[in-house]
Amino acid sequence: MNPRADLPPSGRLIRLMAVVSLLCGVIIVAAHKTTLEPIRRNQAAISRENVALLLPGASRQIAYGLTPAGEIEILTGDPAGREHFLAVYDQAGSLRGIVWEAAERGYADLIRGMFAYDPEGQKVTGFRAVELKETPGLGDKIGTDPGFLANFRALDARLNQVGDGLANAIRAVKHGTKKNEWEIDAVSGATVSSRAVGRMLDRSARRWTPVIQRHLDRVRKGH
Amino acid sequence: MNDVSLGFIFLDALLINNFVLAVFLGICPFIGVSAKFSTAWRMGVSVIFVITVSSVLAYGANALLVALNAQYLRIITFIVIIASTVQLVEMFIKKSSPALFRALGIYLPLITTNCAVLGVALFQTAREYSFAQSVVYAIGSSGGFCLALVLMAAIRERLELSDVPPTAQGTALVLMLAGLLSLAFMGFAGMGGGS
Amino acid sequence: MHVHATIDPQDTVNQDAFLDGLWKQNPVFVQVLGTCPTLAVTNSVSNALAMGAATLFVLVCSNVLISLVRKLVPKQVRIATYILIIATFVTVVDYVIKAASITVYKALGPFIALIVVNCIILGRAEAYASRNPVGRSALDGLGMGIGFIIALLCLGGVREILGAGTFLGYPLFGPGYQPWVLFLLPPGGFFTLGAWLLAFNAWKRRKEKTA
Repeated sequence: MNPRADLPPSGRLIRLMAVVSLLCGVIIVAAHKTTLEPIRRNQAAISRENVALLLPGASRQIAYGLTPAGEIEILTGDPAGREHFLAVYDQAGSLRGIVWEAAERGYADLIRGMFAYDPEGQKVTGFRAVELKETPGLGDKIGTDPGFLANFRALDARLNQVGDGLANAIRAVKHGTKKNEWEIDAVSGATVSSRAVGRMLDRSARRWTPVIQRHLDRVRKGH
Repeated sequence: MNDVSLGFIFLDALLINNFVLAVFLGICPFIGVSAKFSTAWRMGVSVIFVITVSSVLAYGANALLVALNAQYLRIITFIVIIASTVQLVEMFIKKSSPALFRALGIYLPLITTNCAVLGVALFQTAREYSFAQSVVYAIGSSGGFCLALVLMAAIRERLELSDVPPTAQGTALVLMLAGLLSLAFMGFAGMGGGS
Repeated sequence: MHVHATIDPQDTVNQDAFLDGLWKQNPVFVQVLGTCPTLAVTNSVSNALAMGAATLFVLVCSNVLISLVRKLVPKQVRIATYILIIATFVTVVDYVIKAASITVYKALGPFIALIVVNCIILGRAEAYASRNPVGRSALDGLGMGIGFIIALLCLGGVREILGAGTFLGYPLFGPGYQPWVLFLLPPGGFFTLGAWLLAFNAWKRRKEKTA
């Protein structure tokens, strides 16, 4: 028997698939459109929450991106997906500090963190792990260990003479061997994860501190 | 966004975050097709082939979706791509190498429901890998799948000769063995992460 | 070949469609389906619950829609149609979770999208929804989905209690407890599911002996 004998005409098959695809498309687009606003609100709320924990007293924030010419520009809309830093202002409108996000490979997976930076004193003043999948009980201490987080209370991030990079490379050192203001005392038992945070901070500070210092006047005024 | 080296991506996908033993993808074929060594490695090779091809296609499709600002069609596009890739690969092998087709034939359709294939497409997108990174990642992770499958098949062939209590036979035992393998693979963690 | 259900629909009461999935035909412990998410997202009870709820939603919705269109779809394109429908509802659930909680969304990661290839869903579409009326298909989806949630909770509970000493985030044993971290890590997933299957095997064998 010819196996194709019972095949319905291909026109009908195509029409049917088209109808099904159309129906599916309508459902997907409806779901996408209705959830767009709540998702954006959620993301903004989480970002604000993290910023408030890093810089208490924060009331307003402006996202700055870079133009191809190396100038800064204010990003309107959703800054995610573009390289940016956040300038954070207090109630009175004066600059409270800078926050930027960075990522680095840790022991198990990518670690994403946020750093707070005080441009006047040229110091890193806070660190929060935003995304952390390190080994529970060991590597994930870099997000909670008070001793480790104390490293970032006033970490030296001075610019060099020329102003195009850091005076001292920031790095994590083995637990208990921290000697300088720009070193991070690693969590014992989580040296690899701690070093990843060190590399993440060094790289992102090299990237942003020269830009911020160069445009500090503009950032202070918030335009 | 990311400048992870190709070598590290490969090593990471193959051993450190092995698809079967650490990320838990492709467990169904891992349990189902690991009883015999000869079938296991054939399945493994077919999966390497399909995952690499579909990873390239998924990379292109994702670039197109981003350009059209239609990312909400991502899941549906990827699954259609994978189903068609499996069909295409099947037809291609049938035409070009009938001997290989006879060896792989029945395993190819099974791959559509292998979540590792969709997993590679989704992970490479989520991590914003470049084209080269995606291809290396696809080869590494499917190689890791093949490795885990072949290791398990070798162990299970040995077990045929030993006296297993009837309660422990079948899937329960395979899962326990997988746990031990996974424990062993944890030793790879931290490799290449800097001293 | 379109195989019609071997049992006369009149013989089975609606209750069975629902109860079978819970225990007798439990998708994870008895049919050993959907193992990947069962292992991957059960390192905490809350993740297990979120994953279970997402799967339940997709299962019920796709079962209902597939049952509605079952007479219109020729058998040659039925699998393609089912996959399209399932992928649609997975996309919906992906957005809903993202809108409800970014934390949960990040914890589950790509495993939400991977519900598409969860064999439980395509399996129920093909084995049940494609040959049963809407109401019964919905019940079947509900039963299988809740059965899946039960299985995920069985794993998530054991892993969180042993691995972190907490349940849903609440500490159980006081500060002196040294968590058995292995159970939060991948090997712990394999060991826990393996142990549950062993227990199920032992229980089934005992029942067979007494019967």
